[in-house]
Amino acid sequence: MKRDNNAPTREETEKAFTDELIVVSDLHKSFGDLHILKGISTTVRQGEKVVIIGPSGSGKSTFLRCLNLLERPTSGSIKLDGVDLLGFNEKGVNFMRQSMGMVFQHFNLFPHLTIRKNITLAPVKLGILSEEEANSRADDLLEKVGLYDKCDAYPGQLSGGQKQRIAIARALAMNPEVMLFDEPTSALDPEMVGEVLELMKQLAEAGMTMIVVTHEMGFAKEVASRVMFMDDGQILEEAPPDKFFSDPKNDRTKLFLSKVLV
Amino acid sequence: MSDFIDKLKETFVTDDRWLYLVKGLGNTLIITFSAALIGIVLGFLVAMIRSTHDKTGKLKVGNFICRIYLTVIRGTPMVVQLMIMYFVIFATLNSRYKILVAILSFGINSGAYVAEIVRSGIMSIDNGQFEAGSSLGLSYSKTMLYIILPQAFKNVLPALANEVIVLLKETSVAGYIGMEDLTKGGDIIRAQTYQAFMPLLAVAAIYLIMVIILTSLVGKLERRLAKNEKR
Repeated sequence: MKRDNNAPTREETEKAFTDELIVVSDLHKSFGDLHILKGISTTVRQGEKVVIIGPSGSGKSTFLRCLNLLERPTSGSIKLDGVDLLGFNEKGVNFMRQSMGMVFQHFNLFPHLTIRKNITLAPVKLGILSEEEANSRADDLLEKVGLYDKCDAYPGQLSGGQKQRIAIARALAMNPEVMLFDEPTSALDPEMVGEVLELMKQLAEAGMTMIVVTHEMGFAKEVASRVMFMDDGQILEEAPPDKFFSDPKNDRTKLFLSKVLV
Repeated sequence: MSDFIDKLKETFVTDDRWLYLVKGLGNTLIITFSAALIGIVLGFLVAMIRSTHDKTGKLKVGNFICRIYLTVIRGTPMVVQLMIMYFVIFATLNSRYKILVAILSFGINSGAYVAEIVRSGIMSIDNGQFEAGSSLGLSYSKTMLYIILPQAFKNVLPALANEVIVLLKETSVAGYIGMEDLTKGGDIIRAQTYQAFMPLLAVAAIYLIMVIILTSLVGKLERRLAKNEKR
């Protein structure tokens, strides 16, 4: 067969697609009879900041948790760097998770360890860094999140905002390719939301790929490269923030926005 | 008053009878601490298997065996278990080794209670801690070892101390297999002197003192561990 000269070679095709970090197709998740995710398909590119919004119970957190397999999807596929995660065994899953940092609504810091130990535990126990290397990385990260003076404190001695900044530092210590944020400011007192969002902004500016589930519309407008609206287990609308907020297409999106943007 | 002292002398000093108590206390302590060690190791093991099964659905066979163990051990009296061990399972064993049989019996018995204590401690840790460990790429066993167990241990320490106290007193049935523990020591004195009051009171006092010392030691440990998390 004669080869068409204009067609890209396989290498070229792959190269063109390498900036596709996460490719999700037709993802379903059920808890028993409860069908939470009803066919999610989307692609997250390298460096993209995707902000997922939607009413509670719409499946946004479940979707996020499916991405690093904290919840096992019922069907569909998730590809990270072209590799299907659902084909991994347990070891593979653990290894994959090293490249996906996650920040939780309730911080989930380890209360029995100092702040520094919270950050160094995973890299040291996984044999990625030596104790000394991990400590110096922890110090750098603590400097970055502005909490170096707390390095020997315990999580119980910190405010909510400080805890969340430490949780972000802890995730960053693994040098992840992508950061997942599951409502990182929802459990915070209002006056502490700012410091966490500010840190997330810095992270975004530094080029980190981020997927953020949040109710902070201001953050979505300012930082997102794409806003995703989810309801009833489906993505109803995806658009860059300026388009999304000024000219929503879907009726339910309009209704939702009319309620949250007062 | 001098009457009391005479009686005391007659009961304990004559023929060096107090040595029965000293020797008995020695055996009681050896049995208690060795059995506690076995019980804690066994208990943690069983608790890990059971909670791993509860959390991940794996280790079905292990969980089944553990549940039989718990049911049998918690469903039968300690004395009966001790006698079965000594007179049935180890019937042919030289009676010199009866202390080993006692240690093993009490250890196996204690393990069942420790297991449920530790399991309750593991299950009381917020699932977010497991998720945080997993999300950092730590395996289930590493998460368990470095994140869950240290916190669970701290939470169950009072209950574990309670179990050791119960164990210490429970060893008083070791006399059923002719083990000369503290209680048996007092009993020997009672048989020799036809006096019940003095030896039994002494035995009770010694148990009480042991428990008080144990309680204060655990209190110290608890305070030291709690220092880490002061809010």
